[in-house]
Amino acid sequence: MTMVRVGAVRDRFEGRGLFLDGEGAELRKVALRIDETSGTLMGFEPAPPDPGPPTTGDDLPPVNPPQPGPAFSWPLDDIRRVPGQAGEDVLALRLTSNATQRLLLTTPGDRHVLQTRASHLWQPAPVTGKARLAIWGSAAVASVALMIFVLIPLLANNLATVLPASGQRALGETVLEDIRVALDRTGVSPVATCDGAAGRAALTAMEERLFPDGLGDVELSVFVLDHPMINAFALPGGIVVLMRGLIEEAETADEVAAVFAHEVGHVINRDPSRIALRSVGSVGVLGLLFGDFAGGALLLFLTNQMIAADYSQEAEANADAFATATLQEAGIPAEALATFFERLLAQHGDPDGLAAQFLAHPSLSTRIAAAREGAEDLQSSEPVITAQDWSALRNICAETP
Amino acid sequence: MQDPSSTNGSASAQERDGWHLAASHATTHSPSDTTWGTSWSGDRGKLFGIALWTGVLTILTLGFYRFWARTRIRQWYWSAIRPGGVPLEYTGSPYEKLLGFLVAVVILAFYIGIVNLLLMFASFSLLAQPQLAYALTLLGLVPIWFYATYRAERYLMARTRWMGIRFGLEPGAWGYALRACLHWVLTIVTLGLWHPCMRFALARYRHNRMWFGTKRLSQSGGLFLLYPAFIHILLAVALMILASVLVREEIMALANEFDITEFENVALSDTLPTAARLFVVAIPWFLFGLIYYSVVGRRLLVAQLSVGETQLDPQPRVGRIVLITVLGNLLRYVATVSVFFVGIVILLIAVATLAASGNLFDEPEVMFENLELAAQLPQWFTIALGALFYFLVFLIWNIFTHVFLIMPTWKHYASTLRIKGAGHITQIRQRARDDSEEAGGFAEALDVGAAI
Repeated sequence: MTMVRVGAVRDRFEGRGLFLDGEGAELRKVALRIDETSGTLMGFEPAPPDPGPPTTGDDLPPVNPPQPGPAFSWPLDDIRRVPGQAGEDVLALRLTSNATQRLLLTTPGDRHVLQTRASHLWQPAPVTGKARLAIWGSAAVASVALMIFVLIPLLANNLATVLPASGQRALGETVLEDIRVALDRTGVSPVATCDGAAGRAALTAMEERLFPDGLGDVELSVFVLDHPMINAFALPGGIVVLMRGLIEEAETADEVAAVFAHEVGHVINRDPSRIALRSVGSVGVLGLLFGDFAGGALLLFLTNQMIAADYSQEAEANADAFATATLQEAGIPAEALATFFERLLAQHGDPDGLAAQFLAHPSLSTRIAAAREGAEDLQSSEPVITAQDWSALRNICAETP
Repeated sequence: MQDPSSTNGSASAQERDGWHLAASHATTHSPSDTTWGTSWSGDRGKLFGIALWTGVLTILTLGFYRFWARTRIRQWYWSAIRPGGVPLEYTGSPYEKLLGFLVAVVILAFYIGIVNLLLMFASFSLLAQPQLAYALTLLGLVPIWFYATYRAERYLMARTRWMGIRFGLEPGAWGYALRACLHWVLTIVTLGLWHPCMRFALARYRHNRMWFGTKRLSQSGGLFLLYPAFIHILLAVALMILASVLVREEIMALANEFDITEFENVALSDTLPTAARLFVVAIPWFLFGLIYYSVVGRRLLVAQLSVGETQLDPQPRVGRIVLITVLGNLLRYVATVSVFFVGIVILLIAVATLAASGNLFDEPEVMFENLELAAQLPQWFTIALGALFYFLVFLIWNIFTHVFLIMPTWKHYASTLRIKGAGHITQIRQRARDDSEEAGGFAEALDVGAAI
């Protein structure tokens, strides 16, 4: 290493670097010094200043005293390492205030000096455009929220009313398949439907008692799923699903009938179609946010949402009104629904969120009261199905079809 | 490690002087006679570390960290490649990637939400089944996918520097998407025979829009340039067709001879036609053909790529890439499957501990009891455990893919690349910054997924 002195200040550091000025595609050889008074790293191009490529021969000229004016002058505190370099034999440096200039150090000695002298070497270069990031971040959140909470529900509600019966049915069957797969915990086959013949007959008897005149253009299909969850839900196209757990938990057939009538209320009002169409739109949008990273988990979440069927308060009130009217017309105490869920809540806390779905509604007390009031004129009530049918229904999953 | 300056055959005396990179050598050659090699500087262990912790953070942040992870990984790969001894630099920032992604979300949320819903509605209304909607949604995304690929490449080029000079790719994403769609239709109609033409045409479209500083890149060669690379695929497929025909004839002959009409009566081993053995040759040949097409095709393309008077000279070896592909895949499958089994063993041990009932493997009855117990574990526990497995497998797969497949492949391609007429590069000046604001956001949102 050639010792060089400039003026009165004795340079302690004399290194060599390759400078990229960010203007031309050329490595410029520079002799490096540190000016101790100003705390800057300076690079001087060795003489002779040889214009035009290619420069002369391979043997390096000795480093001459530099021409006046350094090629660059970087304050030590503003020097940063170019982040994430793979090889350690070349250290690439940059200046915070200049995005394009680079200095490459290839000898261990020079790298060591800079690593000790440039105190902020490891700090990241400043981040620009944080405001725009915030603006677009908010816009993205807003547009996703707008889609999921406003536009998709609006569109889904309108489309649900015009979706033909065959379309609703197909949609319901697709969703039922998804739910059966999602609920399965063996990983082998979808959750089985229970098809015991006597049990099915009991269900038909219940349906005929509740709806002796049918339901107009809606054709009901009732499924019992062999699953311990205490739950029931409606799907598009007149599909009503009762879980085994619910039938086992009910004390009387009237209680099952009440839940059944409530779900049919949703069917009549096309609530499940709204929710299903809404999910279809939302899956795409949410999938976009998380990427394929959580695709599976997301689908599971949405099937769950379908089961939990988070209907609006208005939809619940309508289904309640429908259930109450149906039960009264059939001569069954309309308070069965209320008593069932009150008891469930007392015994189990909150079984699978179903009771909560009914009970957490602010209007529940009035709903129970309304149901009880309606039930008062009822003199004697004959159970919705015979005791024999009721026991068959309870065994619908045990019995082989 | 390869000596960066070896192509100039000098330098050992200058090794220690700080000015020794190949690109810094003044030579007595004319600029056209100057040739630089490309060195690779990056070790597997460090990449393993980066892939591990960025992967873990990505999982812990539900995918949010992926913009940082991708940036970090790219910085590593870029800086490992050193044409003329000077490392490439990746200057993309995670924040701009996040921003681009958010912009894409704003636009795509409406498209995907509404279009999905309408298509699903139409599909159920008209056909009473969802498949049409799925198909149409996917088909509708195809042009956008090509568009996104081009935009992602534009972003990558705009954030790549060498010798302090930016690369660039001109706008032209819709033109690219249109051409890509048309070429794919042709490729499908011709049963794949058009593929080499498509590959060349699309590469030419991109390459002719690329810049290094103030110099435009130029792709020469004709539309049929890549057919020599396609040869092994063609031959292997021809052999498969031949084998199928022979098998068919053998079966017919056999059926006539024995007057057999119902084949299920005959054991398979008795009737396996001799011609079926041709598949044992044809299938591995076809797989080799795919790699050959990839490697030789790239070599043919890049050899015709120039920047002014500077010409690229790639010399990748097919055998080497075959070796990397076979070993890399073997390792990543073995690693992932091992993790899976280790996970199951840990689960069993955990269940045994939970049951606190002696050694799991001593008494089978105990094990079955334990399994029953496992089936009764609370649902959140099984879900959490399942998620943990899923992410662990995802993580191991990713790490091994980087360390044993992508990195050795890149290393081979890089270290076999030479730059002829490198002396002319010094005339190239800087180009203006391309904001490329979308920063691959559409690609990210649609999961177009660049190699890294």
